[in-house]
Amino acid sequence: MNPPMQNIRNFSIIAHIDHGKSTLADRFIQLCGGLSEREMAEQVLDSMDIERERGITIKAQSVTLHYDADDGERYQLNLIDTPGHVDFSYEVSRSLSACEGALLVVDAAQGVEAQSVANCYTAIDQGLEVLPVLNKLDLPAADPDRVCQEIEEIIGIDATDASRVSAKTGEGVKDLLERIVRDIPPPKGGADEPLQALIIDSWFDNYVGVVSLVRIVNGTLRKGEKVRIMSTASAHIVDRLGCFTPKMLDQDALHTGEVGFVITGIKEIEGAPVGDTITHEQRQAPEPLAGFKQLQPKVFAGMFPISSDDYESFREALQKLRLNDAALHFEPETSAALGFGFRCGFLGMLHMEIVQERLEREYELELITTAPTVIYEILTTRGETEYVDNPANLPAVNLIDEFREPIISASILVPEAHVGAVIKLCIEKRGVQTRMQYLGGQVSIEYDLPLAEVVLDFFDRLKSVSRGFASFDYHFARYEAAKLVRLDLLINGDRVDALSVIVHRDRAQARGRELADRMRELIPRQMFDVAIQAAIGNQIISRTTVKALRKNVTAKCYGGDVSRKRKLLEKQKAGKRRMKQVGSVEIPQEAFLAVLKVDS
Amino acid sequence: MPAELPPLSDYLHLPWSLAKCTYCDFNSHRVPDAPDTARAVYVDALVQDIAQQAPGIAGRTVETVFLGGGTPSLFTPEEIGRVLTALDEAVSLAADAEITMEVNPGALERGSFAGYRAAGVNRVSIGGQSFDAAQLKRLGRLHDPAAIGRAVDAARQAGFERINVDIMYALPEQSVDAAVADVRAAVALDLTHVSHYQLTLEPNTVFHAQPPTLPGDDDVADMMQATDAVFAAAGLARYEVSALAAPGEACRHNLNYWGFGDYLGIGAGAHGKLSDGELVTRTVRPNHPRGYLDALAAGAAVVSQPVSGSRLAFEYMLNALRLVDGFSLQDFEARTGLPRAAVTGRLAEASERGLMLEREDHIWQPTALGARFLNDLQALFLD
Repeated sequence: MNPPMQNIRNFSIIAHIDHGKSTLADRFIQLCGGLSEREMAEQVLDSMDIERERGITIKAQSVTLHYDADDGERYQLNLIDTPGHVDFSYEVSRSLSACEGALLVVDAAQGVEAQSVANCYTAIDQGLEVLPVLNKLDLPAADPDRVCQEIEEIIGIDATDASRVSAKTGEGVKDLLERIVRDIPPPKGGADEPLQALIIDSWFDNYVGVVSLVRIVNGTLRKGEKVRIMSTASAHIVDRLGCFTPKMLDQDALHTGEVGFVITGIKEIEGAPVGDTITHEQRQAPEPLAGFKQLQPKVFAGMFPISSDDYESFREALQKLRLNDAALHFEPETSAALGFGFRCGFLGMLHMEIVQERLEREYELELITTAPTVIYEILTTRGETEYVDNPANLPAVNLIDEFREPIISASILVPEAHVGAVIKLCIEKRGVQTRMQYLGGQVSIEYDLPLAEVVLDFFDRLKSVSRGFASFDYHFARYEAAKLVRLDLLINGDRVDALSVIVHRDRAQARGRELADRMRELIPRQMFDVAIQAAIGNQIISRTTVKALRKNVTAKCYGGDVSRKRKLLEKQKAGKRRMKQVGSVEIPQEAFLAVLKVDS
Repeated sequence: MPAELPPLSDYLHLPWSLAKCTYCDFNSHRVPDAPDTARAVYVDALVQDIAQQAPGIAGRTVETVFLGGGTPSLFTPEEIGRVLTALDEAVSLAADAEITMEVNPGALERGSFAGYRAAGVNRVSIGGQSFDAAQLKRLGRLHDPAAIGRAVDAARQAGFERINVDIMYALPEQSVDAAVADVRAAVALDLTHVSHYQLTLEPNTVFHAQPPTLPGDDDVADMMQATDAVFAAAGLARYEVSALAAPGEACRHNLNYWGFGDYLGIGAGAHGKLSDGELVTRTVRPNHPRGYLDALAAGAAVVSQPVSGSRLAFEYMLNALRLVDGFSLQDFEARTGLPRAAVTGRLAEASERGLMLEREDHIWQPTALGARFLNDLQALFLD
């Protein structure tokens, strides 16, 4: 059953969202008979509901295929899926570390996107063989020659004999499989050396506990063996192991160079950390493999259950999500306005939206999320440096010597026609241009931008000003002093801590006015006037009022049937449950997010 | 448990009408073919329905009757008389029973005011709705404004002393002035009772499917305020959310609803509420006349549902809070069989928010604010 090592090929697909990665994977699975026609659900690798709906991959997944090549040999192909969104780029490097090769899939109509460029460099850095693939040749707008040129100019790899395929029609896919077998090197590693298995990913399964996706770098791992997780120095028995076809297929052993799953009865995800090494308890490897760097969240927001009764179930839900999402951080937070909740750390806005959606959908929680912020560096007048991820925790203005914000270096690729709009956007977001280069029909622009400006809506705005053509990647550059202030909102005279935001002083006035106006639209009229004020410190910069509703009574004259009136009142009451009582004022969920939606 | 049974009313539903109004979500149906036969069959059914109810209310007296629809005047005075007689025989009708019939302005299709009066009806409720011809048309009404006054006159000539006119406000695109003009026209008829209620868009109506532009919240509040002043000047005081009357002229039938009294519901789709000293039960009958007749023939026209606990307390409040004079906790206990503790906490909360006040010991009424925010006040008593 197990092939010789020279017949194993481990590879990933690097592709921008929508460039057809999942369709291509489906086609591979089909050609290699991984699933029968009947079992073949579209896009089998994206298994989470949200992944399917949004057409993105979040978690690494793998599939083992058997391909009978033209040379008469049977090859084992291990395809390790990678996420395609900038928020999840860390997952990409993990997936790539299990591979000897990567397919760079580029939409032959749309051309190269910044995210693919970044991931492609990661692959090249890790010494992978990168095979360029032009997909969607079936599209009338496909222009493979232009896109080949782009690949060469922007990424700098030879694309003269790039594979040309249509994953949709299946055209060229068989040839691509031949190329994979021919050009991607087989794994190296010593079958007789002590076991070293790299944990690429771990997730929690309700039935079997923690499942780990591993790459056997050296040695052989067998069912029933006693193994050791090197960082925790804990011993476990291998209950099950095998590969994904993409269904879980149990085997007796995983050999050097293979990729598959291992289940050892570990109950908590911390017991099988991603990037760790598994070895044998008896014959231990002298050194663990080089792991992955720990991931730091970049965006923070408070999340509060609308009903305080949900606090405990909210905590449990976060703990469960964290089992499969090591990047999710949370710690208890108390807000005067919103009560008990958690300060959560995310990789980016998409990550935050996905977590929020899963909490609401899978755990049926009703939550209020406060405006996301980044981590600010504060130099106090006492000469200390503090890091603040919550506007509420900012030291008093007179104690701040220097207010510093994180700056990122952004690389943007955009067709020439939209350069003006993109530059305008970057300037609006307080960006400083560091480089601009014309490459064929595309322009590569680099900007230093405050992360705070990027996390809110930059990605969406970039897509809209460039009609979807601009793509974007970034990395942290440095902290830089800026004229920042905390903008507070007061409702009936009370500061609502959950509505405070940190903004640039030059924008504070306009932002405050706009925010107060948005609040007036969102806060429903109540029995009394609701005064809304925006303030910086003690200075009120804007005020407005939600006038009191004068009556709320509707009554038909016929009194026999009470059921309809009861249902109406129950419905109204349910609507109010989605509001948060702050003092005597009812504030709807949307108001807390309105802080995000203010442009300027 | 309720020690003493509350007063008993009877609602009789006559489900046919000539045209469906655009705002109306009541249970009304097109007049069937062969109307004479259909009426006879339906009246037989009402009589049978009453007979089936009789054992459950043996020994009680019906204090008020309301004949609603549909358009009750599509039935002849003789037919109405037959039903009232059946009721009197089955459960006994009080000698001073208030017997109200709904009529539309314009022609009485099958009889005359004198005829219905002779049959036992002693109060009429005229569906005037508005004195604005364009609004009447939009509401799907078949009459013109002048018909309202003529109907009032005709009823008086026939000897009716107690006459109500329904007037709606917050009509599509209605101005505050127009709403006030409607009320002025109504009080000019020298009425002792007006039902004045706000148009709401109900599911299963033309208006719900094609919503008209309604006046804004502030205009509606102005309408309420301005029209109340006109009513007051005419000696009519609001005694309930949507009802105004001269002293002593409040509708006894409606007061029994709001006071959480009992009522039989006879006829297609009629809702009833009955206490038996231990349980409060709500009853419903099939909405469609055909379904009602079939179910009745099968002896299964009534679907009963007991109401208890917090639901019962809420339903009491839903009704009683509509009354300007409120209610006593003693009455709450008597009508629901629940201890007053079931509501005192929430009453205190309402009081704290300025919505309720304890007028005398254990007698509570909505404040002016509570009356204006009745929906919020009622919702306080929901679980």
